[in-house]
Amino acid sequence: MLAVASLVTLSACSGSGDSGGSSSGGKPVTVEFWGAAVGLDKSVALWNKSHPDIKVKYSQIPAGSIGGYAKMQNAVKAGNAPCLGQVGYDTLSNFIATGALEDIHEYADASKDKFVPWTWQMSSVGDRVFGIPVDTGPMAMYYRTDLFKKYKISPPKTWDDFAAAAQKVHSANPSAYLTTTPQDAYDLGALTWQAGGKWFGTANDRWQVTIDNPQTSKVAQYWQGLLDKKLVTSDPMLDTAWFKKVQDGQLLSLVSAVWAAPLISKNLPELSGKWAVAPMPQWSAGQKAAGNRGGSATVVLKGCEHPKEATEFATWMSTDSDSVTSLIKNTGIYPAATSGQQLPAVDQPSAYFGGQNIYDVFKTAAANTSTGWVWGPTMSQVQSDMKDGLKKAGAGQGTIPKTVTSVQDSTVAAMKSQGLSVGK
Amino acid sequence: MATRTPGDALAHPIAGSAAKRVPGRGHTRSAVLFLAPFGLLFTAMLLAPIGYAVYQSFFRTHRSGLGLGPSTTVFAGFDNYVTALHDSRFMSSFLRVFTLGIVQVPVMLGLALLLALLLDSRGAVFKKFFRQIYFLPYALPGVIAAIMWSFLYAPSVSPFTAALRHVGLEVNFLSGDLVLASIGNMMTWAWTGFNMLIIYSALQAIPGELTEAAVMDGCSGWRVAWHVKIPAVRPALILTTVFSIIGTAQLFNEPAVLSQVAPTVSPTYTPILATQQSADINNYNYAATQSVILALLTFVLSFGFLKFTQRKGTFA
Repeated sequence: MLAVASLVTLSACSGSGDSGGSSSGGKPVTVEFWGAAVGLDKSVALWNKSHPDIKVKYSQIPAGSIGGYAKMQNAVKAGNAPCLGQVGYDTLSNFIATGALEDIHEYADASKDKFVPWTWQMSSVGDRVFGIPVDTGPMAMYYRTDLFKKYKISPPKTWDDFAAAAQKVHSANPSAYLTTTPQDAYDLGALTWQAGGKWFGTANDRWQVTIDNPQTSKVAQYWQGLLDKKLVTSDPMLDTAWFKKVQDGQLLSLVSAVWAAPLISKNLPELSGKWAVAPMPQWSAGQKAAGNRGGSATVVLKGCEHPKEATEFATWMSTDSDSVTSLIKNTGIYPAATSGQQLPAVDQPSAYFGGQNIYDVFKTAAANTSTGWVWGPTMSQVQSDMKDGLKKAGAGQGTIPKTVTSVQDSTVAAMKSQGLSVGK
Repeated sequence: MATRTPGDALAHPIAGSAAKRVPGRGHTRSAVLFLAPFGLLFTAMLLAPIGYAVYQSFFRTHRSGLGLGPSTTVFAGFDNYVTALHDSRFMSSFLRVFTLGIVQVPVMLGLALLLALLLDSRGAVFKKFFRQIYFLPYALPGVIAAIMWSFLYAPSVSPFTAALRHVGLEVNFLSGDLVLASIGNMMTWAWTGFNMLIIYSALQAIPGELTEAAVMDGCSGWRVAWHVKIPAVRPALILTTVFSIIGTAQLFNEPAVLSQVAPTVSPTYTPILATQQSADINNYNYAATQSVILALLTFVLSFGFLKFTQRKGTFA
C-alpha cells in the first residue's frame, strides 16, 4: 500500500504527464507530440474532443532540416523528449541508428495492412516498427499555363523536351527561366528515385552506399548541362525569393511533391487559375515513372512512458477519415493509409489549379513510384554535405557530378567512423 | 555567439598587480564565506561543463553491423583529436578565421583608436553625440545586424551593388573572393564602437598635466597623441586585442546568417559552425573534441599575445 502511494506521488512529480495507463481508469494519460507540419494541431484537436482518456498535447517545432531533428535528438539525449514526434522517412534510420526511437511493433503490428506497403517498410526494420506512416510525397510538374502559352511550349513529356523548353523560354526572354536546379539531397534523391537508381541498401548485414550510381550520375550531368548553358537558375525553391520570381514571371515551373500545392496557392493567391499540374518528365518517352520527395511518419521517441497510447493516437491520426481529411486540406498531405487515398478530399477539382483535379496526377504518380528505395543511417550528414556541394555548384564553384562523388566518399567515411559495416 | 564581455580572469593580468596583503585568520573565514557563492556557481556553470566536454571528447559512439541495434559508448583515447586534426574542413575553418583576424583585428582597433583620439582631442565637437553614434552598432543584437547586412549584400536587393553597377562595376559581395572581406566589414562595423569606448575611457584617465606639459614643450596635436596618449592607453589596446582574438575565434553570427544567402559560406565555415554541424549530425563526442581544440587554440593565441606584449613591455 505504501509502495503504491509513493509511486503515485513520484509520478505526479515526474512532470512528463499523469500517472498510470488509460486502463487504470482515473486520470487521463497525457501524450506530448512535437510536429513541424502546419495543420497537425487540427487533427490533435479532433482527437482530444473525442478521446477523453488520452490527452494529446501538441507543440509546433521547426522543420527537421532547420533544427527540428536536432531539437528532438537533444531532448532524447537529455531524457525529456515528448512521446511523439514527426520524422521524415529520409531521416528515420538516422533516428533508429542513434537509438532515439522506441520499437512499437506490439502496438502497431495490427495496423500494418491499413497502409501502402512501402511506407510501412520505410517505418520499420525487420520485425521492429518505429513509426506510423502519415503521408507520401508523389511528384509531378507544376507549371504556369499562361506563360507556357505565351512562350508556346506544351508540358514536356521527357527530360529532353524539358531541356528544349528551358532553352526556348530563356531565348525568348533572357530574364525568364523554366526552373531551378536541385537544391539538396532530397531533391536529387527524388530525381534519382524516379530514374530507378538507389542510394542505399543492405546485404549480408552491411550497408551498401551507392550514391554515385549511374542513375544519379545521369541526373547530375543533366542538371549540370542546363546550368552550364545558363538555362536554369540555382535559386532555392519555395522560399520568398522564389515566390517573387514566379510572381514576376521569371520562373515558370517546379518539379516537386504534392505538398507543394498548398504552399503555392497560399503564397501566390493572385496567380489563381494560372497553374496546372502534369506528370513529371520521363527519361525515355512512354515511361510513367515518378519519384517521391518527402513523406513522414509519427514516431514514438525513446523514454516515452505511454507507448501504447501514443501509438494508438498516431495510428488514429493517419487513418481516421476526419483526421486525414483535415490533414489533406490543411497540410496538403497525400495519405499513406490506403483508406485515406479513397477519401473525397483527394478527388476534387481545385479552383486554384484552373478546375483541374490535380490528385489524378498525384494518384498515378504514387502508383508509379518504385518501392525499393532505402535511406541511409547518416542522412543528416548526407543532406548537409549534398546541400553544401549543390549550393556551390549553383554558384559556379564545382559541379553537381563532382558533388555526388564527394558525398559518396564522405558518407562512407561517416558511416565507418561510427563503426557501421559498409561494403558489398 | 561572439561575446567579448570582459572576464575577470582575463582582465587580471592587465590590471596590474593588486596590493598584496596577508589576511588574518578571521579574514580567511569571511573571505571563504563571501567567495563560496561565486565558487559554487563558477564550478557548476564553467568548470563542470568544461570538464564534461573534455571527458566527452575521449569517447565515441560505437555501432556495429547495420547500426540498428543499441549503440555503445567506447573509450577512444585521442582518436577524436586525431580525426579532427586530419579533418580538412575543420582545419581550413581555422585558417580562414585566422586570415580574417590577422587583417580585421588591426584594422578595427586602428579605427577604434583613431576615433577615440579624435573624440578626445580638444577641438572635438558634439563629443557625446558622436560617441553614441559610433557605439550604436554594438547596441544592435548581433543576429539582427547580420540579417540587415545580408540584405545589404544580397545581389538582387543590395543598394551598394546597384550603385556600383551605375558606374560600370559588377560586384558581388557574397562571391567566393569577397565574402570573407564582407564578413570582416560586418565585424568591424559592429565592434569598432565598443573598442573605441574602452580606449576612450583610458584616454580620459590620462592626467591632464601630462598632455599639458607636452603641449608646453611645443608638441602639436598628433605628436601629443603619438608620444603621450597612445603609450598611455597601451593596456587598453592590449585588452581590446585580447577580446578581439577571443571574439574572432568564436565567429558565428555573421557567417551563420550569410550562409542562407551566400552559397560559398559552407556549414563548416568557422570552427564554431563546424562544431555546431557535428552536433547537428549527432556526433556529440566529436563536437566536444572540436570545442576543446577551439578553446585551447583561443587560449594559446590570447595568452600568447599577452605574454608577447608583456615581454616587450620590459624593454620599453
